[in-house]
Amino acid sequence: MAVSASRVHETRVVARIEATAGVVVLRMQAPELAAIARPGQFVMAIPPGEASAAVALGLYDADAESVSLLFFVAGKRTKVLAALRPGEPLVLLGPLGNGFDLRDAPKDVAIVAGGVGIASVLLAALELLRAGARVRLFYGARTARLLVERERFASAGCEIVLATDDGTAGLRGFVTDALASAHMPALILACGPTPMLRATATIAASANVPAQLALEETFACGVGGCWGCVVPLVQESAQAPHFPKTRDGIVRARICAEGPVFSASELRW
Amino acid sequence: MVRPPVDLSVNVGGLALRYPTLMGSGCYGTGAEFAPFADLSRIGAIVLKSATLAPRLGNAMPRLVHTPAGLLNAIGLQNPGIDWLVEHEIAALGGMPCPIVGSAAGFSVDEYAQVCGRLDASPEISAIELNISCPNVASEGETFACDANLTASVVRAARAATRKPLIVKLSPNVTDIAAIAREAERAGADALAVVNTVRGMAIDVERWEPRLGNVAGGLSGPAIRPIAVLAVYEVARAVRIPIVGQGGIANASDALEFILAGASAVGIGTANFLDPRVPERIAVELAEYLASRNLRAISEIVGRANAGFATPEQREGDAG
Ligand SMILES: Cc1cc2nc3c(=O)[nH]c(=O)nc-3n(C[C@H](O)[C@H](O)[C@H](O)COP(=O)(O)O)c2cc1C
Ligand code: FES
Repeated sequence: MAVSASRVHETRVVARIEATAGVVVLRMQAPELAAIARPGQFVMAIPPGEASAAVALGLYDADAESVSLLFFVAGKRTKVLAALRPGEPLVLLGPLGNGFDLRDAPKDVAIVAGGVGIASVLLAALELLRAGARVRLFYGARTARLLVERERFASAGCEIVLATDDGTAGLRGFVTDALASAHMPALILACGPTPMLRATATIAASANVPAQLALEETFACGVGGCWGCVVPLVQESAQAPHFPKTRDGIVRARICAEGPVFSASELRW
Repeated sequence: MVRPPVDLSVNVGGLALRYPTLMGSGCYGTGAEFAPFADLSRIGAIVLKSATLAPRLGNAMPRLVHTPAGLLNAIGLQNPGIDWLVEHEIAALGGMPCPIVGSAAGFSVDEYAQVCGRLDASPEISAIELNISCPNVASEGETFACDANLTASVVRAARAATRKPLIVKLSPNVTDIAAIAREAERAGADALAVVNTVRGMAIDVERWEPRLGNVAGGLSGPAIRPIAVLAVYEVARAVRIPIVGQGGIANASDALEFILAGASAVGIGTANFLDPRVPERIAVELAEYLASRNLRAISEIVGRANAGFATPEQREGDAG
């Protein structure tokens, strides 16, 4: 008999919600995955059919029996995933990546999410709220329609500050502008497009607040095997202890393996 | 009816494998990355990511672009250099449940020879693949595999540096791959890997710029399979040494195309990014395919769609 590979989960879709046109939340029966998944980790979802690569998706939500994935339909592979219906099988590899480090987290945390970045921060918010922290969600998107799942965060107890490019909800402009003018938290977590993460890092640095950034990148393997997803880190980074010394003091770490969450102060991008 | 077990084992130029599947260089890490997702005792071998003499930072990001039937990559041989790899990574691979093949890359004949020498001295390494066909390094990366004379000199130097089975990996980006294959064989290669990635690029039509940091990349996956099958077919007619066919193999039927064209074993790279269980599944399905035709061994069908191909048995005058 073949030894069953321990991090391959043969799940079944139990619910499918279209949060708005083109944004899907899939819930899968996956108790073993749910039991070990940590905030900020991700999975590789294997689209049924003729795709040539699996899709990296943040673990959006979890309970004892199931995990949820939230994704924007952007191409052939996410289209196939979006077509799945309750009862259909879906294979997930994971959980993958390091996730947010919430040990000894302070009691006042800001979470910055842009677009599909919202898919990677709910579990962190829930864990912080359970620990009694104040959690403010700074949430930005192109337009109000794309600010999906606001109620989920609000009902869990997050305070929410919105921003949209077109001003249809909240502040007109960047969500990081809202963060910059807010009372500074003791910790910032962020997930979203690179310009948003850079701006978050700048704000965190000038306020001397630690920030953990969950990076988004195109993955091939998602498990550290191909070196297609690197980001420069300082040599001394605790996340690259096994990397050889380099002359310029910078190492290129794999976002999928050493990350996807990096301490803003250690990134050299 | 109980059928006798089917023999999937192969010998690739002295490298004995229980399964005819080699995990493509650069696609499978050291194997340890995939251990939680695949049964490494059910694959033939792992080919390590190509190593160079000196450390390399690799190319600028982005390094990957998904295309309709494949993947464009331009990693640029990021690696910490052979000495560090031998000491820290390769030394830890002793307990792997399948053979490990080292992969040597370089920018001069001497560099290739030195990397081969280090791999030769590592007991964890069962064979050496010579990557003379990486399309993703700015200058000389691929010139070796694109020139018959350079191929001959680099293979000769590598041959002198190791007694382990030497697999030379060829490029599809040439006019006459059979001519290059002949030179590699003459210079001492024990086997050939056919083929590495096909050069390509993708352009971002919003930003009006190339999508890859390196501009050009190597295309892999189903898109290149017909190119690779033909390359194997032509090489198989030109040489007598075994071939590891690769390029877009994602299931047993794909693998069979290569084997029937003349490959003794197959390489699987990009398909691991879809599902790491693909190589195990291919082995199971190959066994079923052979059993359903009352064939006992995979070696019986090597080159059977290639009239100009002589099996090793036929070459030795033994049709058995
Ligand atoms: C991300 C990536 C990295 C690769 N790196 C290497 C490498 O370091 N050395 C090498 O010889 N081939 C490398 N290759 C080529 C593969 O080993 C393989 O020959 C090629 O991709 C064709 O097979 P496939 O379609 O099954 O992937 C790489 C391919 C990919 C997709
Ligand atoms: S996607 Fe392969 S190493 Fe990160």
